[in-house]
Parts: sequence; C-alpha cells; structure tokens
Amino acid sequence: MQLGFLVDLHLCMGCKGCEIACKVENEVPLSTWRLRVKYVDVGTFPETKRTFTPLRCNHCENAPCERICPVSALHYLDNGIVNIDKERCIGCAGCVMACPYGAIYIDPQTQTADKCTYCAHRIASSMMPACVVACPVQANIFGDLDDPKSNISKYIMKNQANVQVRKPEKGTNPHHFYVGGGNVNLNPLASFRPEGHSLFGKLTSKMPVGGH
Amino acid sequence: MAAHEILTATNAVVTLDVGLPGIVWPWLVTVNMWAKSIGTGVIFMLFLLLRMHPESGNKLRLMTSISAFVFINIFLLFTLADLHQPFRMWHIFVYSNFMSAIAVGSFMASAFLGLLSYLVFLAYMKKNDIFDKVLLWTTILAIPVTLYTAALMAQCTAREMWQMPTESAQMVLAALLSGSAFMILVAGKKLSYEAKSMLGAVLGLSALMAFIIYMSELVFGPMKAEEVAYVMEYIKGDGEYASMFWVGQTMAYILPMFLVIVSRITKSESILALGAILAIVGLWIVKHVWLIIPQLLPMS
Repeated sequence: MQLGFLVDLHLCMGCKGCEIACKVENEVPLSTWRLRVKYVDVGTFPETKRTFTPLRCNHCENAPCERICPVSALHYLDNGIVNIDKERCIGCAGCVMACPYGAIYIDPQTQTADKCTYCAHRIASSMMPACVVACPVQANIFGDLDDPKSNISKYIMKNQANVQVRKPEKGTNPHHFYVGGGNVNLNPLASFRPEGHSLFGKLTSKMPVGGH
Repeated sequence: MAAHEILTATNAVVTLDVGLPGIVWPWLVTVNMWAKSIGTGVIFMLFLLLRMHPESGNKLRLMTSISAFVFINIFLLFTLADLHQPFRMWHIFVYSNFMSAIAVGSFMASAFLGLLSYLVFLAYMKKNDIFDKVLLWTTILAIPVTLYTAALMAQCTAREMWQMPTESAQMVLAALLSGSAFMILVAGKKLSYEAKSMLGAVLGLSALMAFIIYMSELVFGPMKAEEVAYVMEYIKGDGEYASMFWVGQTMAYILPMFLVIVSRITKSESILALGAILAIVGLWIVKHVWLIIPQLLPMS
C-alpha cells in the first residue's frame, strides 16, 4: 500500500476548510501550518483570475527529510506515509533545510520538527484525513496508489495528461499530485510576493522556524 | 520556460498566504563551520610542519593539539547550542541514521575529539614518537571531519546552491586557509622564517583557489539552475547581502593574497600576520553569507 493525495485545483474554491480542519485535528500551534491554501492572482485587470493551491507535505518516495534526519525521527510507515516521532527528534532542523516544499516547521511548543502526516492516526483507525472530510467539493482525493481501483488511481488515469507534482526536478517522487495546476500554482518563483498579504506576517517575536 | 518569463507574462501575485519563515540555521552554524575549519586546519599544518620544517614543528606539538582541541570543542558546543532539543543530543548515538551526514559527522567528530585529547596528553608527556604516529591518523581523520559539512549541505535538497561538488573543495580550502593563518599568528617566534614563509604560501594559495571558486559560483551558478540564480541576486548588484559578501571576499581572500606577496617581497612578518588576521575574520563573514542566502529562497 502506498497512500497518496491528489488535489483537483479545478474544484478548489479556497474556502480554507481543509486548513482549519487540519489545525483542529492536529492541534497545530498558532502561526504554524501543516496545510495551508495559497492564493495567487493572475493577470492584469480586468482580465484577472484567482488561483487556490492547498500545500502540504508531499510524502515523497525519496524523501530528503528522511535521509537527513540523524535519528530517524522522520521515518516511513508501511503505507508510504513519512511520519515523525516527536519524542525522538533533536530539533537540528536538518529536515527543515532539506525539504524542497517548505513543509516542515519547528513546533514552538515542543521545539521539535513537525509536518503533515496525512493524519496517520486517523488512517490507523480506518478514517480519512481531516482535510479530506472537511472539503465541501471533494477537491482532495486520498487513497492507495498501488490499488488501480482506488479513487486516486482512477483519477490519475482519467487525467493523465494533466497530473503534476511540485518540483519534479528534485527527484523526490512526491506522493502528492495536482490536477489543473500550472507553474503559477506550483512554482514559488513564478509569482511576485509583495509585503502585506500574509497571515501573521507582522509577527515580530516568537516567529516559527521553517514551514511556509 | 523560466519562472521569471512566466512572471512577466502572467503578472502573478501572491495575495494571501502565511508569512515566510525566518532564518533556520543562524550564526551559530557559521561559528560551527568556522571553528571546525580552524580545528582541523591546524592539525593539517602541524603535520606539514613536522615533515617540512621539523625544527619549527617540534616546538608546536602541545600548542597545536590544545588549539585544535579548543576549536573542535567550540564547534561541538555551537552545534549543540543550535539544537532545539540539546538534551536529546545523545539520540544521535543511540538511534543513528547512517544515511544522514549529521549522524556520520557526529561519530567522526567525536572520534576526532578523542584523538585530539590523546594528542594533548602525549604532547604534555613529551612522548613525541607516539605523538607523531597518532598525528598521522588524526590528520587522515581530519579530512572527512572537515568535509562532512559539505555532505550535510548536499543533503539539503531544498538549497540547490549548496549542492555543488565545489563545496567540498571550499571546506578543505577553508581549513588550509584558517589553519595556516592561525599558526602564523599563534606560533609566533617558534616558527623559523622559512616555516612562516611556507605557511604564508599555503595561506595565499588557498585564498586564491577559494576566491576563484566563489567567483565561478557567482558567474556560472545562475546558468545551472533557476533557484541558484534567484539566490545569487542577494549578493549581486544592490542585493541585500552584496556588501557583506564583498567585504568577506576582500578580507578573507583578496587582501591576504596581496599581503602574502608583499610580506615575501619585504620579508615583513607583521604584514603576514595582518593577512592572517584578515583571513580568519573574513572567513567567518564569507561562511555566514553563504549559509544565509539560500535560506531566503521561498520554498512553496
């Protein structure tokens, strides 16, 4: 079993329900995020369009965070999830530096690395991740990539020409896919990032380490 | 199509997102790398002096061993201080992931420190024959100890600028530069003019090589990858770290090269000492800029 995620960006409407569900389910501390939805506006008025991109850990098949972690706090589960053992983590932040997706942060309360685990605790109880349950338009599709009959496998087959991953050149083989994405959504260098449009952007103390 | 070309066409603007994080590996890591360069570099220099200028090297066993011991302890102390859970440091030795350069480096640095402690003891007891045999193995181990940071940086897939083979060369050159500079300054009158002259040559040549590599990175790096080009903008033109970068390059490499040449012409040891001071201080600045700028790259 290799669990994976697919987000259909045609369906996502940027409600941030997944973001909040993740925060509540995993008790993610203030100013840190396991999952967040980024808004990028494209074009020049009046020809403009707003895009929404949910961003979370990609649970890479060849995960740089797992490789760099000196104590194997970041480790693979049998189902392909890259999980984290917070009791073992020494807080060296090597994983934060290695992750090309900015998906890992140092939890300000425990001072250990943390990230999306695809809600591994819910999966263990045969439940779907909190963000999947919360999505009102079923833009988040979750399932077993090894099973050709799973929803995610069928979705990938159906949209073969339009399935993308973030930063494929890094060779990480993410288990997280997007349908309907483009460079603007998936490449952080393909958009301007002016000051003043960031949640908690004005925090001046106790800034979280990593994860953006 | 490159991102900047798309950017011009789409005028894409991030209109709502979380704040970008700050620096993850701060100046503590710079001190770590800088101290490790000196700690390993002086061992290289002692090995060299004992073979090429034994009349000077013979007087430096204890001083060099203690210096290396102190700087490797500074390196380890700052490594520990940078951890968010420093009291769990022991996990590295119990739950070791040998695919991680951090874990492998920790074992090597610990073994290196053990050998240095033994060297201090042998030098204090004046057991020179055993000292020289142990020094050989310590010098061999100093090579991977000084190189492992390059391996660690290469494992940072997110920071493409560090994932270059030249990083390994820079680590060795930093050790040679700082090791020779430190010996010139601290050994003082225990060194003959010829020995100082040799250390000056090591200092000047390692400065030249390191400077060439940095300039090559500056010019050729952006041709390799979009992310490297983005990061290099911070040290080009009026980039945020451009002044610091050039101050570092001037202090660590350009001025020491020039001063080594002047000292050889004038036979002035004080000019050589000035070059050595600038190299040691400048190396910290150079390392710091190179550590910080890839961390400013937006990841997602």
